[in-house]
Amino acid sequence: MGKQSIGEFEELVLLVVAAHNSNAYGVLIREKLQEELERKVNISSVHVVLKRLEKKGLVKSKFGGITSERGGRRKKFYSITAQGKNILDYQYELRTSMYKKIPKISFS
Amino acid sequence: MEKSPPQKALKFLRWFCKQEYLEEIEGDLIELFEDQYEESPRQARRNFNWTVIRYFRPAFIRFFTFTNHSITPAMIKSDLKISWRSLRKQPFFTFLNTFGLAIGIAGVILISLFIYDEFSYDTMFADADQIYRIDIENKNAGEVNSYAAAPGPLANRMRQDYPHIEQLSRFMNMGTVFMRRENSEIALKEKDVVAADSAFLNLFGISMLEGDPATALANPNSVVLTTSEALEHFGTENVMGESLIKSDGEIYTITGLVRDMPRHSFLRDHGIFFSLSSFEEADDKAWNNWIFPTFVKLRSSANQQHLDEYLSDVKERYIIPWAMTFVPGLTLESARESAEKTGDYMRFSSIALTDIHLYSPNKNGEFSQNSDIQSVYILGIIGLFLIVLAVVNFMNLSTAQSLKRAKEVGVRKTLGSIRFDLIRQFLTESILVSFLSSMLAVFIAFETLPLFNALSGKTMSLPLTDPVFWGIIISGVLVLGLLSGFYPSFFMSRFVPIQVLKGSNMPQVGGGNIRNSLVVFQFAISIILIVGTLVVHQQLTFIQNKDLGFQKNQVLVIDDVNTAGHQLQTFKEEVKRLNEVKNASLSSFLPTPSARNGVTFFLKGEVLEPESAIIMGNWRVDYDYLSTLNLELIAGRGFDESFGTDSSAIILNESAVTMMGMKPEEVIGMQLTNDFRRSDKENMKYITIIGVMKNFHYETMRNRIDGMSLVLGNNPDKMMVKLRAGAFSDTIAEIENIWSDVSPGQPMNYYFMDDSFNDVYQSELRLGRVFLIFTALSILISCLGLFGLATFNAERRIKEIGIRKVLGASVPQIIAKLSTDFLKLVAIASLIALPAGWYIMNRWLQDFSYRIDIGIDVFLIAAGVAITISLLTISYQSIKAAMLNPVQSLKNE
Repeated sequence: MGKQSIGEFEELVLLVVAAHNSNAYGVLIREKLQEELERKVNISSVHVVLKRLEKKGLVKSKFGGITSERGGRRKKFYSITAQGKNILDYQYELRTSMYKKIPKISFS
Repeated sequence: MEKSPPQKALKFLRWFCKQEYLEEIEGDLIELFEDQYEESPRQARRNFNWTVIRYFRPAFIRFFTFTNHSITPAMIKSDLKISWRSLRKQPFFTFLNTFGLAIGIAGVILISLFIYDEFSYDTMFADADQIYRIDIENKNAGEVNSYAAAPGPLANRMRQDYPHIEQLSRFMNMGTVFMRRENSEIALKEKDVVAADSAFLNLFGISMLEGDPATALANPNSVVLTTSEALEHFGTENVMGESLIKSDGEIYTITGLVRDMPRHSFLRDHGIFFSLSSFEEADDKAWNNWIFPTFVKLRSSANQQHLDEYLSDVKERYIIPWAMTFVPGLTLESARESAEKTGDYMRFSSIALTDIHLYSPNKNGEFSQNSDIQSVYILGIIGLFLIVLAVVNFMNLSTAQSLKRAKEVGVRKTLGSIRFDLIRQFLTESILVSFLSSMLAVFIAFETLPLFNALSGKTMSLPLTDPVFWGIIISGVLVLGLLSGFYPSFFMSRFVPIQVLKGSNMPQVGGGNIRNSLVVFQFAISIILIVGTLVVHQQLTFIQNKDLGFQKNQVLVIDDVNTAGHQLQTFKEEVKRLNEVKNASLSSFLPTPSARNGVTFFLKGEVLEPESAIIMGNWRVDYDYLSTLNLELIAGRGFDESFGTDSSAIILNESAVTMMGMKPEEVIGMQLTNDFRRSDKENMKYITIIGVMKNFHYETMRNRIDGMSLVLGNNPDKMMVKLRAGAFSDTIAEIENIWSDVSPGQPMNYYFMDDSFNDVYQSELRLGRVFLIFTALSILISCLGLFGLATFNAERRIKEIGIRKVLGASVPQIIAKLSTDFLKLVAIASLIALPAGWYIMNRWLQDFSYRIDIGIDVFLIAAGVAITISLLTISYQSIKAAMLNPVQSLKNE
């Protein structure tokens, strides 16, 4: 591991998937992202990232059941894999440890 | 319903998106859409559309490999097999299609060869694109002359003044000379010989078999020969250092041997090149002697425009200052003023070496007979016509046949073929047909090439071993196949299975209008070509039979009689004494078209200003000229030895008198001079007008009859002998006998004048023949198409005909019924084509000063021919259908 790296937006999407594990699907992920980031996110960018994460083996997906919503189309739910969790942990540790090395800086 | 997302965007998404992502994406999009719809339907739609477009990126776009109907070798094999079967099932239609297309393609191959050949002239020289020739167009007192040559001193001035020249080479036109070997009596005639300076061989990159290109033409009295020229004189190629003697006694040493000049170069007729330094004229300081063809090779620092700019200044920079040295009172301003007043000009320009063959219509001093871009255009258009006709034919026949294949389409569709499969199948078929046609076409072209060569006066060959040729043919096959199969395949693949399989109301084959307009189009083109053929033919007949104003029949012309030297008069008197000879005349001037310059005259007493100048041809003839050619006098008298004063007499033609603004009777006795250039004007020599002759055509019918005049003169090089009707060959033998006495060892070159007259109209005769051939081809192709259509039509209406017959219609009535449909089309085609043909051919006729009017007969004949041929074509099928026993055609019902 360690070699595998993910971009910022990928990390954010992965975080949302992890937070709403196995309930996360496209529209929900977009909504949560918009809330957190306080900016517009296009659904297509979410889908692109999801597909990329799935290809990297960081998330997995399965279809939900057919309902009358969404014109009868099934939702596709995403959940994080162990590998995905590892990456998130690694990223988190990396950032905190590096953050701690910042000396006290005064901006007076 | 009103909550549904934009269908178009959804359809687009479904079309491009990967199958495995589609449901998820669609679902999410619709959910979003429905959420947003509550707030603003318009916003929601816009977002939806925009988002769909954002999905159009590689991550989501599926592979367009037609996963369920991919083109595999097996598929192609199957397509080919089925195409082959269906072609074989319809041998007759396949033949019509293939043959029609093959004829069209063969025609196009031949025409392309011709055009390629025309454009390949002079491209073989190294750096041909940097070489230019300097030309002059001069208008003097209303007469325009073009020269492919420049003044002698220009070359040296350019070398000094114009820095962009890499090399410059100057030639000099020498006309006809006679050369003989040292120990031989027989001189060989060399026509249109040139002398060249020492830069010539290097400028054109001509490699030498022997000798040094840089110095071979440097020294006076050197000469460079081509191999065939060397063989002609010496019988061997080992000629370096040998000598040739010119008829004036000068001896020339052979300093170089080159290969024969390339057949496609402007030098092709030249085998002997004298060194320019051998001749005093080469140092001529006069700027008004334009016999020096000048070629420059530009450095890359300049282009033609740059060169032309320099040349446009030559007149004022060199010629007028030179003229000022001997014309008193001439200044730059006065020269400009008089040019403006008279409209005269002298323009120097350049022409690219590779343009000479097509864009330099035989100027004075041209090295070889050039061609004309116009004939290239005409042939190109005819070629285009041919191929369009053939393609149209194919489309027509294929759609007409579709009726028969409707069931096939129905069954295939039922079994799961999608439209793409059917289109591919039909396109395979048309490509197969176009492939077969092309092979047949190459064969036809190969077989007819010798004939075409003879007609067009070329020596072309099919580049059968050239991969580029086959590359073009193969890509032509594909393009042609796709082009001609496009409409039929899309048309046929549209059939709805349930309709065509039900069978009972099957003849729902549409496209009748398109088929009909295609037939109209074909016949319109054929009729235009018929009109063209007729008009060209009529004009040629008119030219050849027009009363020229003199007798060209039974006139024998003997060339180069000046080799007889002082014995010439004896020869003439001896010939005149022969029983079968009516008369004989010595002169260099034949009444046949050739390049001639005008001479400027002034009437006695007129001021010597350009406005009062009379410019006319001036031929030096002898006492017997008028009577030998039966030229008619309308006033005064002809030359007569008994007057003794006729050496200062002149005879004008009607046009010259008209130019002077007088009547024939008035001018007799008036005096003219062309001696006005001398400085002591009081000693000018005058000549007296003694007669006026009727106009006769000494130029081609393209030109008006210009003013011309006859004076007595010497140094003739031709003799015309008017023969009595009878055994010409005996008389010619007798004349040859006399000739060998006065000019031993010299062959006698002779021909009949009317033959040489026909030579002038070679290009028209050629055009006429080409028109005839391609008209025949286009009619043939059109008829093949019409025949196919008639067959189809008769088959389709077989039951209708049966019922009509049962109800009492007679055979002629049914034939008439079947024929009128097609005749209508041909009639419409005539209505379109006749005015178009009239317009085009009228434009062509404008080139001739003496021309026919296109009469109504041309149109009647053209339309008649079209109608007759189409009737004959369809009659077989119509009669066959009409004669059929109704029992046969109706029993299936």
